[in-house]
Amino acid sequence: MAFREINSKMVEATVLPGQRLFSQRGAMLAYKGEVSFTPNMQGGQGGIMSMIGRRVANEATPLMSVEGSGTVLFGHGGHHVQVINLTGDTLYVEADRLLAFEGTLQQGTMFMGSQGGVMGMVRGQVTGQGLFTTTLKGHGAAAVMAHGGVIELPITPQRPIHVDPQAYVAHRGEVRNKLSTALGWRDMVGRGSGEAFQLELSGQGTVYVQASEEKL
Amino acid sequence: MFRLQGSKVLAVDMTGDAVKAKNGSMVAYDGQMAFKKLSGGGEGLRGMVTRRLTGEQMTVMEVKGHGTCWFADRASEINLVGLQGDKLYVESSNLLATDAGLRTGTTFTGLRGASQGNGLFTTTVEGHGQAAIMSDGPAVVLRVSAQYPLTVDPGAYIAHQGNLRQSFQSGVTFRTFFGEGGGEAFQIRFEGDGLVYIQPSERNTIAGDV
Repeated sequence: MAFREINSKMVEATVLPGQRLFSQRGAMLAYKGEVSFTPNMQGGQGGIMSMIGRRVANEATPLMSVEGSGTVLFGHGGHHVQVINLTGDTLYVEADRLLAFEGTLQQGTMFMGSQGGVMGMVRGQVTGQGLFTTTLKGHGAAAVMAHGGVIELPITPQRPIHVDPQAYVAHRGEVRNKLSTALGWRDMVGRGSGEAFQLELSGQGTVYVQASEEKL
Repeated sequence: MFRLQGSKVLAVDMTGDAVKAKNGSMVAYDGQMAFKKLSGGGEGLRGMVTRRLTGEQMTVMEVKGHGTCWFADRASEINLVGLQGDKLYVESSNLLATDAGLRTGTTFTGLRGASQGNGLFTTTVEGHGQAAIMSDGPAVVLRVSAQYPLTVDPGAYIAHQGNLRQSFQSGVTFRTFFGEGGGEAFQIRFEGDGLVYIQPSERNTIAGDV
């Protein structure tokens, strides 16, 4: 386990020789030992094609790779940090929420439209998540940022979860998401309850929800 | 049934009953839920007129259904308050959710309201049930009894309940006018018997500037 939560807003990462770590650029707070930080032009793993993919998908947050041996403290903007350990499953998260992740995780970009077709694209627009999202797959840990604390809600086939798009942080597992609307005549005449759109997550997995409706 | 999940998320288990919550504060739910906007403040035509006049119009929605609904608002800390027939006075901006069985209304607070930067009116919650109030940072509950009156900073006050009289105190001296004030020009004094909720943070008030 590479990340240790120091408090709710800082994580300590252990860097060992030969084990690479990626983090959002400028998120290092302090470090001990011989650690080098290299800005990563490609914004993550993979070759030039992956880089172009991320640029096109607008999921290219400036990353740096952290190498050497020692410990590094990460934190950013006073946001709460949640460490998520992956054991072979896939984590779906917005690139700008990703504080740091282990190099053993395979980074990818997913087209949201591939889930739910046209509605998928509408969903991306409505939720402000855009059309693409970042995926992390494999064995390792990732540190994800959220405004306010994070709660974990399990999703089972019998128990789908509806989430406010603004409070959605990330999800993992075999989860299908779709945008459900509860638009009624009340919304048309400006008497809506402010809960017109919800992300419906169904399947098997976990969703992470923040205690706030503010974006980072 | 209200319960806290962490300090910033309120989970409400519902079995066909309803709760009133601040508009747009739902972050997640499972099961079946319906959201309907209510005109907050009070009931009926009289409530509507009062709201228009007082400006204490909190937009409230009614959530009804089966399952669990989670509420949160701007990462504020949440405090649960149980009411057994008594009355809770709270700033509408600090009220997150109440049982549907609780009555909400508006009362005149006088000069105190203006000094808090919250207007001249405040929201009251009355009846039997639970309410969730929000604070910027974990709230402190202070007991006021006949021997121990309490004086609080208007900017840090969030709510009070019980049989309390409040009065307004001013510490304005000639120094204040020269810009040499201590930043504590106004206070609210509570006397009687009850509880006062304070947040470890101060809203922007006129009192804080002088």
